[in-house]
Amino acid sequence: MPAATVAPPPQASGLSQRADLVGLGALGVAAAVLVLVGTGAVSGAAAVVALSILLAAVVGLVVVAVAGGAEARRRLAPYGLLKPGMLWLALFFFTPLVTLLKQSLSTLPSRFAVEAEFDWNFGNYSTAFSSFGAQFQRGFGYAAVATVLCIAIGYPLAYVIAFRAGRWRNLLLGLVVVPFFTSFLIRTIAWRSLLGDSGPVLAWLERLHLTGPLEAIGLLDNGRILNTQWSVIGGLTYNFVPFMVLPIYVSLEKVNVALVDAAKDLYSGSVRAFRKVVVPLSLPGVFAGTLLTFIPAAGDFINARYLGGPNNTMIGNSIQDQFLVQNNLPVAAAMSFVLMAIITAAVVVYTKYLGTEDLT
Amino acid sequence: MPKHPPSRRLTRRHFLGAAGALGAGGLALPSFLGGRLAGATTPRSTPPAQGEGGSLWFDNWPEYIDLTEDGYVGTVDRFMQATGIDMTYTEVISDNNEYFAQIQPVLGRGDTIDADIIAPTSWMAGRLISLDWVDQLPLEDVPNAANLRADLVNPAWDPTGEYSLPWQTGFAGIAYNIEHTGRELTSTEDLFDPEFAGRVGMLTEMRDTIGLLALAEGIDISTLSSFDEAAPAFERLQKAKDSGQVRAFTGNEYIVDLEAGNFAACIGWSGDVAAINVDNPNIRFVIPEEGGTSWADTMLMPKGAMHREEAAQWMDFVYEPENAALITAYVWFVSPVDGIRDHVAEIDPELAENALVFPDDETLSRVHTFAHLDEDVEAEFDAAFSEIAGA
Amino acid sequence: MRRLVDAPRWALNLFAAAALVYLFMPLGWIVWFSFNEPVGDVNLVWQEFTLDNWRGAFRASAYRDAFVESIRVAALSTAIATLLGSMIAIALARYRFRGAAGLNLLLVLPLTAPEIVMGSSLATLFLDNAEIIKRGFVTVVIAHVMFQISFVAMTVRARVRGFDWTLEQAAQDLGATPMRTFWRVTFPLVLPGIMAAALLSFALSIDDYIITLFNRGSLQTFPIYIDGAFRREFPPQVNVLASLILLASISLMLIGVLRATGKASRS
Repeated sequence: MPAATVAPPPQASGLSQRADLVGLGALGVAAAVLVLVGTGAVSGAAAVVALSILLAAVVGLVVVAVAGGAEARRRLAPYGLLKPGMLWLALFFFTPLVTLLKQSLSTLPSRFAVEAEFDWNFGNYSTAFSSFGAQFQRGFGYAAVATVLCIAIGYPLAYVIAFRAGRWRNLLLGLVVVPFFTSFLIRTIAWRSLLGDSGPVLAWLERLHLTGPLEAIGLLDNGRILNTQWSVIGGLTYNFVPFMVLPIYVSLEKVNVALVDAAKDLYSGSVRAFRKVVVPLSLPGVFAGTLLTFIPAAGDFINARYLGGPNNTMIGNSIQDQFLVQNNLPVAAAMSFVLMAIITAAVVVYTKYLGTEDLT
Repeated sequence: MPKHPPSRRLTRRHFLGAAGALGAGGLALPSFLGGRLAGATTPRSTPPAQGEGGSLWFDNWPEYIDLTEDGYVGTVDRFMQATGIDMTYTEVISDNNEYFAQIQPVLGRGDTIDADIIAPTSWMAGRLISLDWVDQLPLEDVPNAANLRADLVNPAWDPTGEYSLPWQTGFAGIAYNIEHTGRELTSTEDLFDPEFAGRVGMLTEMRDTIGLLALAEGIDISTLSSFDEAAPAFERLQKAKDSGQVRAFTGNEYIVDLEAGNFAACIGWSGDVAAINVDNPNIRFVIPEEGGTSWADTMLMPKGAMHREEAAQWMDFVYEPENAALITAYVWFVSPVDGIRDHVAEIDPELAENALVFPDDETLSRVHTFAHLDEDVEAEFDAAFSEIAGA
Repeated sequence: MRRLVDAPRWALNLFAAAALVYLFMPLGWIVWFSFNEPVGDVNLVWQEFTLDNWRGAFRASAYRDAFVESIRVAALSTAIATLLGSMIAIALARYRFRGAAGLNLLLVLPLTAPEIVMGSSLATLFLDNAEIIKRGFVTVVIAHVMFQISFVAMTVRARVRGFDWTLEQAAQDLGATPMRTFWRVTFPLVLPGIMAAALLSFALSIDDYIITLFNRGSLQTFPIYIDGAFRREFPPQVNVLASLILLASISLMLIGVLRATGKASRS
């Protein structure tokens, strides 16, 4: 049954155009005010003025929505939905981020000083680029491998839960996440025991006579798993499997099973049906899962610290060190921004690769 | 507080028993504490009402004091009963740098933190003293400070001795698992033995790792004043890491690695090995011939701390030999208080003979304290170490 | 038409089962060692079987208190973040509007920022405004919501994308108000995504260490407490606690599933 569309009344199109702008404008102004007040760029009486502007923006949005009619409301709906979350982020994420940006261009008067002086010091960035190349590479490299492994493990699992679990699907989904209610430290200690020299994993590999071949292809290092790059990657993979399984599951779950069956008949083979029908429908999930895995993994430091050796450190460890041990917040901030920039660029490229309609 | 399994604190079992046996009908305290603690039969005492005796807040490391449990009344509770002071004892220091990152934004702005007493490690204490983020201790009200061990008076990190009073001390040396080394180790050179390649651990604590290596190079770490003097130690460490001799840089986790066989030998701390040695006699500790390092976790009063009188009473309390003995009998570190050996012998005769807890003079002659480094020099050391230790 | 041996089907199920085993390997180790009688304070080498640890399982302890704090923080922050994040996801996926592309990108940023610098910057923000807010429970919740929103938004968006919005239109044509349409048509279909997102962000919050470390004042959450405690000990009580957590979560889910299928079979 075709959906009946209501043609908007002519004069409303003008208002709806403006409604769009009003919505975006209100959101932008509100966010900007929060950032300005939060970073202390405006204070005192000016802050009070700014906050009134914020209030006006929010109220204005509501007024336009009420007064503008159904079309305007429809146009403004997304902005209304976005507002609470975006304003929270504006105050509690973007404000600290702006402060951090300032710090990355500052110089500390002395090592333990609390306030850095803002002096457009791009030297922090050149340090970030030049001194930590290996750690950046390892960070992105380990994260990429871990992401691929997560897809290899997570996709089939999500598929089985979505299509074959029947009424047990919620339980299985819960089982995927439940291990993560125990703390990461406990899980990591468990892995250290499992992967250690006298642990069960090595014992079984030896029993199965796999240590030779594994050593040959570089998965074992002198008969050890712990404190090598593969135990770091293993730890990363393990920690992010739920972040891959859940998004893939939610996008697979809404695929109509009848559709898949029809496709199997059409393509006379379940593998082709899978490729042609299921995979495209699950792409949003894979996309989300990849981002939710790769991005945090690239900046991770915990796995390298507990499961890796001194030659396996990732950029996250370096940032951690610059901040905590060297007490050099400006360089740590610069490194963070370099990391964020590279990741964001990668995300943009990845998104384009998957098709522009996925960006919205 | 989690129930303690019987044998890490094997002595504690005896200790609780002994302490309990000294009193009649449930008075769970050694009698020499006299009449100060009437009615101390309840394991958990309720502190007196706020304001009656003042209050005190002490930030310390975990597992560093005898807490109340199982019929035994711990130091904090006994102190509260004895003085009427309402004390908050928190175990929030797990890493010097992490703790510094938490107090720096506050103290650096000239504000005060909640704690009246904090107990970072000596080098961090030295840093805080240099930054003038601490107040002088009210030592005139701490007569028992006279009990301080002679070698800890006016230390490198606090030359005037006015700002700090050690809480517990210990040594760094070589910890090893004889099952995996096959022999006894005596020297720092053993860490570089090709036989143990890939199974040697080092500490993330710069001063202990570089300290031992520098001593092995014949460098006197107690007089270090520039990076170049210690450069040979750094070079040696870099080579060992590049060649794969060093498997990992750890914090306390090395004990687990020794037990599991991931490490054959590593740089470690006396207290940890003393504790585990009871259960696993294969894990040994030795101060190497070339020398080991000695460290202290030391009590400071952050600037602006309000409860000076109460802090003085606390320090006096824990420097009383009987009380210091009770703490030592629990934590198994080397007490900064002199003359407690006999008291410990009453509680736990075996412990009083433990060379790691009561080191003899020969041992003491082989340990050195790392010099206090200037801010710039310290930065050089830290940067060079992080590059090697992996960061 | 039916194949005699449905090999791929069977293989896939086996693979999924293996994946679950993989996920539970460390937990198996944890539960197994909760029955260990360790020789010392560090429960990492198997000695002998005992039920003693479980006998005292419900005694109060600092571990339990810290865990309860973590639950409280996680419950509140998850509730807030799920609400805010889902709204963002629906806005982004359902509507075409100006600025959508840019906002998509902005949403990714919180994921990219390293926790340590975010944690300390946020702490500075709170310190600079110490008259309005003191670091403690509230600031920890605020900080957790901050990084949870992006996770929720992206997970829910994966659900909402490709959604057939004509269903909504059809409902409205049939006379439903927008409100009713949302609750009866849209919401139930998006719900799995929201539940999944809530699960994920709950796990994120319970596990957070660094951001919490800087913004906690004197609050002790579970990761914070055990990070300190584990430097000296790893008692079997921790294994028991972790096992109890597992048991409780799985039981809750099992009950949920059985009740749901019970309802379904009755209706």
